[in-house]
Amino acid sequence: MKTSFPVAVAFLTGMALVVSFFFREGTLVGDLSKNLKIWLTIVGGFTLLLGVVSITRVNWAGVKRQKSGWGYKLLTLVSIFVMAIPSILPASWSPLFGRAEGSIYDWLFTYLDSPMMATMFATLAFYIASAAYRAFRARTVESTILLLVATIVMLWRVPMGEAFLNLFPGDLPGFLNAFVMNGANLAVQRGIIIGAALGAASMSLRIILGIERTYMGKG
Amino acid sequence: MIKSSDMARKALLWAIVVGPLFLVTIVTAQDSIDTSIAGDSLASAAATVVDSLDSLAAEMANVEDTAPPAEDTTEAAVVAESSFRYDRINAAILVLVFSAAILIFTRWARQGKELFLRKIPGLEAVEEAVGRATEMGRPVLYVPGIAELDEIETIAGISILGRVAKITAQYETPLMVPVRYPLVLAAGQEVVEQAYIEMGKKDAYDKDMVRYVAGEQFAFTANVNGYMMRERPATNIYMGAFFAESLLLAETGNAAGSIQIAGTARPEQLPFFIAACDYTLMGEELYAASAYLSKEPIMLGGLKGQDFVKMLIVIGIVIGVILVALGYGDSYMQLFQSV
Amino acid sequence: MEFWKRIEGIDRRWIYLIVGIAVIVPFLLPIPFPISITPEAQMLYDHIESLPDSVTVMLVFDYYPSTIAECEPMARSALHQFWRKDCKIITLSNIPLGGPSMAETVTREIAPEYNKVYGEDYVNLGYKANYVAVLSGMGTSIRSIFPTDNSGTNLDDIPMMDSVFNYEQVSFIFEVADNATADYWVSIVNAQYGVPMGCGTTAVSAPKYYAFVGSGQFVGLLGGMKGAAEYELLVEKPGNAVIGMGAQSMVHLLIIALVILGNIGFFMLGKHRRRVS
Repeated sequence: MKTSFPVAVAFLTGMALVVSFFFREGTLVGDLSKNLKIWLTIVGGFTLLLGVVSITRVNWAGVKRQKSGWGYKLLTLVSIFVMAIPSILPASWSPLFGRAEGSIYDWLFTYLDSPMMATMFATLAFYIASAAYRAFRARTVESTILLLVATIVMLWRVPMGEAFLNLFPGDLPGFLNAFVMNGANLAVQRGIIIGAALGAASMSLRIILGIERTYMGKG
Repeated sequence: MIKSSDMARKALLWAIVVGPLFLVTIVTAQDSIDTSIAGDSLASAAATVVDSLDSLAAEMANVEDTAPPAEDTTEAAVVAESSFRYDRINAAILVLVFSAAILIFTRWARQGKELFLRKIPGLEAVEEAVGRATEMGRPVLYVPGIAELDEIETIAGISILGRVAKITAQYETPLMVPVRYPLVLAAGQEVVEQAYIEMGKKDAYDKDMVRYVAGEQFAFTANVNGYMMRERPATNIYMGAFFAESLLLAETGNAAGSIQIAGTARPEQLPFFIAACDYTLMGEELYAASAYLSKEPIMLGGLKGQDFVKMLIVIGIVIGVILVALGYGDSYMQLFQSV
Repeated sequence: MEFWKRIEGIDRRWIYLIVGIAVIVPFLLPIPFPISITPEAQMLYDHIESLPDSVTVMLVFDYYPSTIAECEPMARSALHQFWRKDCKIITLSNIPLGGPSMAETVTREIAPEYNKVYGEDYVNLGYKANYVAVLSGMGTSIRSIFPTDNSGTNLDDIPMMDSVFNYEQVSFIFEVADNATADYWVSIVNAQYGVPMGCGTTAVSAPKYYAFVGSGQFVGLLGGMKGAAEYELLVEKPGNAVIGMGAQSMVHLLIIALVILGNIGFFMLGKHRRRVS
């Protein structure tokens, strides 16, 4: 029962969604997917709550036992509730509540959260520089071609570099756009997209038919 | 005896699957068929099957018409049309062909037919990498992607986690699995616990092996990077959906001296993993990994079925290129439109 | 040879320092270079220009605050172009973290310039979980997914939504994304409902979407900060993306120099090792 019930649910819902794709909305079969998707939206909302419960439980346990780094766990808990509680309270009680401009939530998001996220993303520039320096080696013919093309594309994507490329005879930027980005790159991306889509479809079919059960911890 | 029945099955499979494709190609090359007529011709056979559903749907539509008024003015017009989407018949055929291929190859695999699989270096290296971690007395870090459980890549990542957990259970190597979503946490804990039980190492299992870290992408990344620099895991395995944090994770892992195996179906993240990791699984290799590691005939059969359909698509593309070059491509391309 | 060994094993923090300087200096000493317009950006601009005035369009804020530098200039420029044509704009987001807030901030900042009023000229639907369900649900009825806007007002009480029920009343969708939601917009919305779409995305994701431009599923594409700068120039509102081109140029040139230096070191050390052995 522990195994067969989830497999049965996966089969029925999967088949319902597949079959309803081929029926018009407004019909019994066609509306199956619409209703299931609304349920998905509702369940998705509840899973966000589950995350809060889980992170509170794990971090509170660490704070109570005063495990190493418990101060950071306490900061995590304080951050969650300082941001969440004012945003849930009605804005009619105070302009600090809710999520409108001027609220605590808005201030924390604009002046703490956004800059921190942007900073983390910006560190990618440093990491790519060190990764490029360390790993981009012309070890084989293929990697040499890759390096040369990558260098030229990197030049093309910035105004300074494009000005340099325009010094050469012919329309190098136009050639790069037509034959590299819209030629080789497009073909390869399509191949990977098609392959990945087929892989995903195959895996989905295996899950629907109950052949693949490893996501449940079985087999 | 077995060989001749195998050949008969193969021939039947080719006839069922390739025959219609070949027929349509010949017909469109003569430019003598209107695609809507073709769609109706194919659909007329299917119409006998859907007739009963049609009438049932029409009855329900009548019930719906007398129910509270439709929200959108377009709904009444929609109900009056046929309930079966004949404009999606091409997708229906593809789904049927795909399903048939998967099922037939799975059946052949169950019957003991040997199926060839090329080597995937990244997966061959998993056991060796875990062994390295055991020798060094350092943990294995496994990141099943940062997407939700409804993403197929995450499911693939969780499936592979089960296999890796069996190896870490066998070698009694510490395992750390940070996750970004609560549903992934629940699935991951279930999978790892089951793996340890199956290897007879239930006592070695700790619920905190799989832990919810943070819901935000870079908060998650910062936490995992911090873990990498403090604990210095010997092996990092990244399997699932990754976004901008892929390079942050891989480069930090490299700085920590870990051997790294990555797999994702996101083409835009592949270059970062290839640059920073020792082994990378690309695209569908990630989906094949679970079958590859388990070596179960049923799973391998599914893989072969998928490859068969890919071959059909390649044939379709080649035919399309030839037809377009000859100037008859429009009708052929319309067969694949309007999904 | 000792020099090349030291270069090969250089502490990565020196590289971080050099990159930091390369980013900061162009902001202090800007060197303007002409920015050319790629065909993909031009196609996107031209398609929006060809839309009839006053049609309803969707502007989707599917990017996290981390990619504001690349994505927000695209969204801002799109607002300028749409409002010059008096388009009615529906904004929404599939990103829970900040998507609706960013949409709110950007639209309210630019609206006064064109005398646009919330509810009559633009509406922010906000965010709903599970984007697959959201995108396909809106094909039937936007109200089934978003019964209210981001601030809780019933859609039936919003004047501009009186005649908008689903995708059939939407003439164009501009998706600004830093993740894979653009794939779902193409496969669910464009493929199944035929709504013309354009996409602005980060430089990392842009190569993938050339395939969709090639197949006609996207009418055009903006890739990264360069794409944003091109679009800013096309709508004649140069902003942060154009300013950022200087820093981006310097860092690209620096990375190319580092790659060349690394490879020279690799070959010199390889030659030395072969000589020694």
